[in-house]
Amino acid sequence: MVRGRSTELREDAGSSPVVTTDLPQRRQLVVGSRSIPVIFPNRRDPRLKLAAVITALQVLGQAALGFRVSIAQILVCLGTCALVDAAVMLRREGVLVWPASALLTGNSVAFILRTSGTEHGDWWSLNGIQYFILACLLSLLSKYLIRPGGKHIFNPSNIGLVWVLLIVGPTKVFPQYLWWGPNGAPVIAALAVILVGAVWILRSVGMVRMALSFMVPFALLLGIFAASGRSFFAIWHDGPVEGAEYWFNIVTSPEVLIFVFFMMSDPQTAPKDRRGRMVYGAATAVVAAGLIYFQPTEFGIKVAILASLTAVCGVVPFIEKVARPGDARGSVPSPGRAEPVSRRLTDSVRHPAVAAAAVIAVAAPVDAAALSNEKQIVLIERGLTGEANPQ
Amino acid sequence: MEEDVTHESPDRGPAHRILSVLGLLAVLAGAVLGGNPFGIREWVFGSAVPPPRPPAVGREAAAGVDDDATVLRSQPWWQTVARLRGTGQMVTQAFTIGGDALQWRVRTSCTDGDIAVEVSTEAEPLVAAPCPSTPDGYSSETGSLSLRVAAKGPWRLHIEQQIDVPLEEPPLPAMTASDTREIAAGSLYRIERPTFGRVRLYRLAGGNYALRLSDFYVSPNVDLELRFSSLQAPRSTQAFEGASSVFVAPLDITAGSLNFKIPPGVVPTEYRSLVIWCPPLNLAYAGARLEFRA
Repeated sequence: MVRGRSTELREDAGSSPVVTTDLPQRRQLVVGSRSIPVIFPNRRDPRLKLAAVITALQVLGQAALGFRVSIAQILVCLGTCALVDAAVMLRREGVLVWPASALLTGNSVAFILRTSGTEHGDWWSLNGIQYFILACLLSLLSKYLIRPGGKHIFNPSNIGLVWVLLIVGPTKVFPQYLWWGPNGAPVIAALAVILVGAVWILRSVGMVRMALSFMVPFALLLGIFAASGRSFFAIWHDGPVEGAEYWFNIVTSPEVLIFVFFMMSDPQTAPKDRRGRMVYGAATAVVAAGLIYFQPTEFGIKVAILASLTAVCGVVPFIEKVARPGDARGSVPSPGRAEPVSRRLTDSVRHPAVAAAAVIAVAAPVDAAALSNEKQIVLIERGLTGEANPQ
Repeated sequence: MEEDVTHESPDRGPAHRILSVLGLLAVLAGAVLGGNPFGIREWVFGSAVPPPRPPAVGREAAAGVDDDATVLRSQPWWQTVARLRGTGQMVTQAFTIGGDALQWRVRTSCTDGDIAVEVSTEAEPLVAAPCPSTPDGYSSETGSLSLRVAAKGPWRLHIEQQIDVPLEEPPLPAMTASDTREIAAGSLYRIERPTFGRVRLYRLAGGNYALRLSDFYVSPNVDLELRFSSLQAPRSTQAFEGASSVFVAPLDITAGSLNFKIPPGVVPTEYRSLVIWCPPLNLAYAGARLEFRA
């Protein structure tokens, strides 16, 4: 039985929350003697809105923004994620569920990941396709295998991207540039899609305050960094990016806006309550800024931003506990929670999923911080590695 | 926003435990690899940066190398290794091709009959042709080599190795002469390709001009050339092409510190910037606004 996908939690005025069965019509797929139920997403599903926004941006990227990702790479990402997700659901549940989440994962991976040597306009290039597939598989593996407490804690595409960018590294892969081009019609159109999409989606999932709680401290901290003389090298810029440009190119980057509005806002991996979401947003901003401070390259900055979410997702259960109102924290003693913290911690660490989550949550920011010492990335971002520059 | 239903696998058998441990080990391995300790990532996936090498200090190999190794690489260029001459049949004196040389070539000149040039380590002759017009011979052998030459009359050989390290030429003596004046300077900026470096323009004692690029790099390519432009600071290929410009010198080396003599008839003071131009691609790679001294 599939639960949670086709049901919707609705808060009726003056009554307790009720679960309404807003089920779409079920269809059956007959394979030999077996009849497999097929479930499509509800048309009010916010994931469809997000899919529409990302697809619109992909189209703009291909048509006008010079994105160095091919249609074939995008399709392979979508196909890989959809196939794996559908296969898992079919095996576990015996139903064919439209893989809306997995398609978003694939779309996000293709939207952000770039492989060295892919040129814009080479629509059917499969260059570096193994890295796209790896990112997709890592995303879904994390979703289905790292489930302390019975649910995944990391944003799937975020962890897939962070892991591939850190492990494979800057000679083979890099994230989409922070700078999408001069402020002409294509960039303005992309920003319009992002902002309209943000209002459309964030309101429906209750994440507006979360986004603000990220953007405000992030902008302030980056402003302090810019004023204190921090700079970074980027392949698209002549010389170091510093001063107001430093602040502007990071804080208002479409990449960062997409990260905040459409990746951090995943309701499954963000805290459930409003206060927790604000702490989550602010914590991600502080961790991201802390990691960015030391980065001399755009590559390092982008991985730092992505890794900050990985780290904070790892502590979302703690954020939920800390951010819970005082009476809610203390008034309901839960049976079986009387064990000492050290004991509970030891028991948790013995569980492979918990240990894996802990390793990932710690390693992502630590490894991202280590990028600041890699001279190779500086040479790549300065374009000093010759005609075959990976970026 | 990738919500989904949550389910725990009921399987908790030995296979599950083994897989869990293997998965955990994979996560640990990924965490270590992601930190790139001891450059392990480059070892697995390769590096975009070549190993450091000492730059050359002259267009002749005999000039030696600089002490400070660099990871920067130039467009491959030809450095003279030896100039040899002789008559008739003989084995030349030994010369050394550097271990880092990409290849080397011998250019021959002779007047009578045929000439054949063989290197001791190769079965086929490098050159076997009638005089006076002879093709160049190429080889990738390195180390100490000598050539066996068979010819009817006198001959000359010019041996060059192709290398890709930067050239760190000292300034020309004429640039530091007391009567020489530095009349303009500027810094290179990117137009279409990454670059950095300083440009200095000199009026030499005899009235001629010379140009020096120092601490210089531009993205490598073949057939690059230096041109003066009438624009103050061209920012695009289109802008550069829309204004007058004049050829200054070929740019066969794309990193280091280099000297150029300005061709007679070219008056630098009539121009306002220097541009690195790529004729094969019709691209302005880089530019430098020339700030003339009063």
